[in-house]
Amino acid sequence: MSKVCKATARNARSEFELMECLLSFLGSQGYRVRVEVPNLCQSADIVATRGRWVTFIEAKVRDWRRALAQCEAHVHVADYICIAIGTHKPRDSSIRLATDRGYGVIGFDSGGNACRWLMEPRLNRDLWLPERRRWARNLREIQHVG
Amino acid sequence: MSVNHWMTFGTFAEQRYFIYPNKDVYYGVIINANMAAHAPDGLAAFLLEKTAQYRYLIDPVTHAFQHDPSAVTDSSGEVRSSIKKMATAYGEPFVRIVGKEPLRPRVLLADKDATYEFVARCLDFQREQVARPMVEADAAKYLDLGEDVRPYALVAPYFYMTETTLAQWIPACRRCVEIALELKGANRLFACIVVGQGVASNSKARKVILDSFASLGVDGFLLWVDDLDEYEAGTDELNGLLHLARGLGGGGEREVINLHGGYFSILAAGVLGNRALTGVAHGPEFGEHRAVVPVGGGIPIARYYIPRLHHRTRYRDALAILRAKKWLTTTAKEFHRNVCDCHACKEVLGGDLANFSKFGESIIRTVRRKRGMVRMAFPTSEAKVMCLKHYLHVKQSEYEFADSASPDRIVGELQDGRAQFEGAAGLEGVAHLERWEQVLMGTA
Repeated sequence: MSKVCKATARNARSEFELMECLLSFLGSQGYRVRVEVPNLCQSADIVATRGRWVTFIEAKVRDWRRALAQCEAHVHVADYICIAIGTHKPRDSSIRLATDRGYGVIGFDSGGNACRWLMEPRLNRDLWLPERRRWARNLREIQHVG
Repeated sequence: MSVNHWMTFGTFAEQRYFIYPNKDVYYGVIINANMAAHAPDGLAAFLLEKTAQYRYLIDPVTHAFQHDPSAVTDSSGEVRSSIKKMATAYGEPFVRIVGKEPLRPRVLLADKDATYEFVARCLDFQREQVARPMVEADAAKYLDLGEDVRPYALVAPYFYMTETTLAQWIPACRRCVEIALELKGANRLFACIVVGQGVASNSKARKVILDSFASLGVDGFLLWVDDLDEYEAGTDELNGLLHLARGLGGGGEREVINLHGGYFSILAAGVLGNRALTGVAHGPEFGEHRAVVPVGGGIPIARYYIPRLHHRTRYRDALAILRAKKWLTTTAKEFHRNVCDCHACKEVLGGDLANFSKFGESIIRTVRRKRGMVRMAFPTSEAKVMCLKHYLHVKQSEYEFADSASPDRIVGELQDGRAQFEGAAGLEGVAHLERWEQVLMGTA
């Protein structure tokens, strides 16, 4: 196998592939999942709920900065915020950017075609309850996946 | 002398907003000619019922014919019906070229008789199109309208000029103004100067404009710098706007109205700007700056006007800023003291800070995007009205403040805004306040 093939084998080839893998991973962890959930004029890739806890996940094949920027709006409503990245071993500096903000990081390993926690998120203590309630009213109109 | 508060009439859906905070607030209404061509009866009813003075100007929108035909056609290539009606009203050469080719200045200069005829028809359109249905309207039976139904001023046909087209368009624009001066009769006549930002920021180009138009003998000017967002504009553009306004106004001899202006223009029209403008117009929604060629509507999003920033901010940004300042964590009283104590905010909050989220109320819809169907949140009508009521309340106080406060107080307010919000909004979020101060104080 060539060098290029080995490189692509470790990373998600598309957002679709990453999402498929993520949905299966979250399901196995006991989450109920909704996709493309609007929040404050943007759309979160995944909102996963377990019990009363709400986790926002932005999934990107490789664009960390965009994921970080999108996560900013979720701070008003999410209990936990995560970035799922389509690389097997992201740079430490990228992980640090996420963890400094309390975000969790989910990595992708296409060798085993599975996602795994690289860093678990911290509870977001900065949510604003009135905004969360407003957002949650709209959430009821969105079906769970699977 | 006061800062005249004009509002632009965008769509009929917006007409209900002209009563906020009350209809006496607005000096007058600016109506686009294509709207007047399309729905004269509706506009007549609007002016009679929703405005206090019936004072209006019709922008002849003649620049619409100089752009690529795609600017006036729909997706199937058909000329939009309102534009077609406007072309019919103006006659040749517009009927012949609309939707087929852009108007060029030499067409207007080559056939003097046709240009004379077109200017005459354009002025008649402004005199009659809305005035006649106003007089004939049922509501008018009980009113003593007299000459009130005439437009506040006639506007000579005009065309958009950039740095590269200035030399070609100026003779045609001047010719239109000269003919209009001959034909204006007892009406006031305004010329409309619509230029690219490159013209506004280029001192030589500005001089050409002023030399060409300031001495023509019109009663006033409408001024429009293409897509000049005062919040993002640099000092060159803002200085250019101010210089153009002062030059056209001739030291108070003539009216100068910025067709699409924000707080910088309002200050320029007030004490701090030494009355560089006589009036400023804005739309009820996204009307503080406007591109000459529309670039599409985009998704409507809720915006909250932060009074001390003098900027309409996306709801999510307003939320982040106000939370960073802890003004959504104390009491409604504190919110009104620090953020806004307008009637609309008091009504929405009703004493409970949690109700601030009503400004961001949304509904979910599925819309087609490049990647397929996606779900998006759209502001509810109620949220839009709340944001607008608040915005229009604050705007009214901005006009009053710019008109009557001392320069020191106005500058102090800009500096306080900067000091208060720099931490929460970042330097980019407050830098406009410093630029405005520097330009208006003549230090930039």
